[in-house]
Amino acid sequence: MKFNRLLLYLFLCCGAFLALYPFLWMLGASFKTLNEASTPSLNLLPKVWQWSNVTETFRAAPFGLYFFNSFLVAGSVCLSVCATSLMAGYAFARLQFKGRQLLFFIILGSMMVPFELTFIPNFVLISRLGWYNSYAALIVPWCVSAFSIFLMRQAFLALPRDFYDAAVLDGCGHLRFLVRIGIPLVMPSLVTVALFAFLGSYNALLWPLIVTADDSCRVVQIGLVAFYSDAGARLNLLMCASSIIILPTVLIYFVAQRYFVQTTMGTGIKG
Amino acid sequence: MTQFKKRLQIFLFPFVLLAVAGDRCLGMLDDGLDALRRRGLGDWPAALLLLLPAVILLSLFSLYPMGASLQMSFFGGRHGEGDFVGLANYTEALNNPDFRRSFLVTLYYVLGVVPLTVSLSFIIAFGLFKITRGRGLLRSLYFLPYVTSAVAAAMVWRSLFHPQQGVVNLLFSYLGFSPQNWLLEPRGILHLLSHGWIPADLGPSLGLCCIMLFDIWHGSGFMIAVFLAGLSVIPRELEEAARMDGAGEWRLMWHVTLPLLSPTIFFLSIVGVIKAFQAFNSFYALTHAGGLPDTQNLILYVYAQFYQYGYWGYGAAVATLLVLVIVALTLLQWRVLGRKVFYS
Amino acid sequence: MKKALLIAVTASLISTLLLVPLFSGCAPATPGGSKDRSFKPLDPDFAVFWDRQTTESAQLLQDLAAEFNRSWQGIPIKVERAGNYTDIFRKVSASIRAGVLPAMAVAYESMTNDYINAGAAVDLEPLLADEEAGLSAEALADYIPGALENNRFANHDNHLYAFPFAKSVLILYYNKKVMQDAGITAPPATWDDFINQCRQIKAKTGKYAHGVHADCSTVNGMIFSQGGDVLKDGKCLYDSPEALAVFRIYEILAKENLAWLVSPSSYEDNVALSKDEIAFVMRSSSSFSDMKLLMEGDTERWGIAPIPQKDPAKPGTTLYGPNVCIFNTTEAHIQAAWAFMKFLTSPEVSVRWSLETGYLPVRRSTLHQPELQQHWEKWECNKVPYDCLAFARTEPNAPGWQEVRDLATRAVSEIMAGVTTAEKAAAALQSGAERILARNARPQ
Repeated sequence: MKFNRLLLYLFLCCGAFLALYPFLWMLGASFKTLNEASTPSLNLLPKVWQWSNVTETFRAAPFGLYFFNSFLVAGSVCLSVCATSLMAGYAFARLQFKGRQLLFFIILGSMMVPFELTFIPNFVLISRLGWYNSYAALIVPWCVSAFSIFLMRQAFLALPRDFYDAAVLDGCGHLRFLVRIGIPLVMPSLVTVALFAFLGSYNALLWPLIVTADDSCRVVQIGLVAFYSDAGARLNLLMCASSIIILPTVLIYFVAQRYFVQTTMGTGIKG
Repeated sequence: MTQFKKRLQIFLFPFVLLAVAGDRCLGMLDDGLDALRRRGLGDWPAALLLLLPAVILLSLFSLYPMGASLQMSFFGGRHGEGDFVGLANYTEALNNPDFRRSFLVTLYYVLGVVPLTVSLSFIIAFGLFKITRGRGLLRSLYFLPYVTSAVAAAMVWRSLFHPQQGVVNLLFSYLGFSPQNWLLEPRGILHLLSHGWIPADLGPSLGLCCIMLFDIWHGSGFMIAVFLAGLSVIPRELEEAARMDGAGEWRLMWHVTLPLLSPTIFFLSIVGVIKAFQAFNSFYALTHAGGLPDTQNLILYVYAQFYQYGYWGYGAAVATLLVLVIVALTLLQWRVLGRKVFYS
Repeated sequence: MKKALLIAVTASLISTLLLVPLFSGCAPATPGGSKDRSFKPLDPDFAVFWDRQTTESAQLLQDLAAEFNRSWQGIPIKVERAGNYTDIFRKVSASIRAGVLPAMAVAYESMTNDYINAGAAVDLEPLLADEEAGLSAEALADYIPGALENNRFANHDNHLYAFPFAKSVLILYYNKKVMQDAGITAPPATWDDFINQCRQIKAKTGKYAHGVHADCSTVNGMIFSQGGDVLKDGKCLYDSPEALAVFRIYEILAKENLAWLVSPSSYEDNVALSKDEIAFVMRSSSSFSDMKLLMEGDTERWGIAPIPQKDPAKPGTTLYGPNVCIFNTTEAHIQAAWAFMKFLTSPEVSVRWSLETGYLPVRRSTLHQPELQQHWEKWECNKVPYDCLAFARTEPNAPGWQEVRDLATRAVSEIMAGVTTAEKAAAALQSGAERILARNARPQ
């Protein structure tokens, strides 16, 4: 048994190294000179650590403001996606009404629309509403996510029927059940939804690039654009900026994954 | 400390009030909905209340653009300034060898990436779930590829797989194999593996396989997280009961864990296929839309038609065809896999 | 409670009806498009300039804009970095649909063509001819040949629709060290020299001689240097003997393993040159400042030269560079944008721009300015791109040309990957180009 465990750890660690390698390369390249960073080699660490890369990165674009905007936008999107997908997921899982299946397919269908198609009509709509270069343009189109609704529906479907029946017996209506009992029960899935909603908004580049005109609303991914010039990318600074940008998301995931723990669901139901 | 506690209590007080008030509001709403239900309206009012924001926003920002582009697909010309041509764009697409090639590339890609990513992610997630020490760290490490922006990761990938200067070719020559062109190789992988027996344009090219490998690496982080969430809601009691009945680890996994995880697998399969058909970031970052046709999928084709050449009508027609294929495959999956899903 | 449901349904119906006018504008425009649409300005108080300069040149542009604004009475200019060329094209296309545009933006000729068709680009002829704000005949003649002509569009009465902004030429970068190791003393002057030198380098040093950057502009430049042309009188010439000669050069490089293909959109060839791994790189002179950075200040190991020619007495190379398109917003915005363009291309500013960014000035009289003379004296290679200005030629600007460019890039990639021959590639490119040009020449 101990050997099995050891083997498991070995396998996982090897896999983790493979997963980690490009990121290590990125970190290393962040502190190299342009020449060194552009040279493909096995050396992850720079010969001479260029600490000045960090200051130069921050000088290239107003990253402080960009980070603030990114967190504001991604946070709002995260909250609204959680709220809407909770409600919709529960409705599709536990409510009976005519056209339920059809409506669910339509919502699922919206996930199949490629971004390229939605971009121009959405842009025109945003301009008509006067939201060009505002937070609303960055947040509102992403407040609902079909993928999250689907995930929450699966999560609610996975709950044993007994819970609902017991709650109804206790006189608990749909909404109360959702808020008081449902949320804690589907917490892992909800955390997943929150995580991906945040990430999706945080990592988006194309849409923010199009709907923002100046630095007041721009997000961190746009800051990366500053490192591309007509004659190539400033690879080392680009990697430095990318590493800095990734850090918050890794921290958030580190916190979030603590919810992915097996719960004991026996409490409350006897027999 | 007590000062702090007092301050904290004062700070939290309005929230508590809000929570209590909120609960009261919910209670009232619930009673209202109940009353409506008893009047014979069934679950409609509750559904309306819960679904309205989602439906409105999705219609505005996803379904309406689909409708607008569907309309656009019946017109020719560039930048939407053209005459009504009916289904001419669709017939042109189906007869276009470039379109057929990109469709085939997309198909190879989906069939390669989705099953492999789902299985690999399941195995890794299962392992990550069982371990106790270093769990947080290892889980975060596996999630890193998904969080790394495709652009940065692709640069690393390109330099690793560089035909002249890459590490992989270095390893290959150590092991005695001949160096390959990797991302820039347009010949099929089957052709190369069979030493020329199978024709070069049958099957995915080596370049496409590199892109698939990239996406398996990149996408597994996402699937592992979802699997972890799914594993967390499996009641421990069921596993304990099965163990007490004498089930070994493998039988446990096969007969208890997998069936209980089937909603998650179903979900990931459907979402995986949809996302794989729409894969853009990895293809663009690895080839910059400048590669040979063997690494250009349908989305890249649409992108070129739309934004580089300005054929909006034709691009919309191709995208509509793509959506139809996705819908068909999703329905197929729903029918076939849906039956096997086990809901407790 | 049925009443409540009724109210809810009617409310949703009404709101849908209210939203319809918002959507109606998205329907395709009337067939044929309208030539003289007018657009709302993006910012009523500033003339916004969408540009893609990054790092150092962005700062210079901001400084120049501030300088211009100090002495300009009308609406001030505001420079905004809006992504790369494709991003800007996408943004402008979307803005055209939304009916709101900035005052001006950088664009390539193919993009300008689309803007004209949408009625967004301002015809610059009246502005040129204007008594107060226009350019005199001698000023017009001062612009380098081709820079202005390429912005005149044959399918729109040869009127000027965009103005040249920054130019560069296709040149040859060479690594002296690798060449010396192979026993070569001077860069190749003809294409036969080039092939022979490549073979010599491969034989004597075992290194690859060249990194091929698959790009239509490079192919076009090579065709010009062979004495040929790419598009003449509306007819594409990719099957001409000169074009075939160019593809044969690529075929030799591929077959004899003298060169490797650079990953798309990367600058691996520049890096390899700086590491003494290859001998020749053919790129735009806009890479010059980056190359200096990669070479870390060394001027002994490398140099630049005009690209090899078939006949050195009749040279040819590509003239690249974006132009600026002024949009149909308000009169005040157009005037401000035009004045700023004249300011940017005036001799004094042109010199500053080219010295600081490595781009080439668009005015011939700048070549006599003392600052430039000093710049050339520092290193004789600094003068090479300026010399090439005299014989650099512009690329076609026909509608649909963007698609042809991608086909040309694909042809080179396929030859280098060994999946096709020079003849087949040229033939495929020619038929593809003819099909595309025919499709786009049809009146829309």
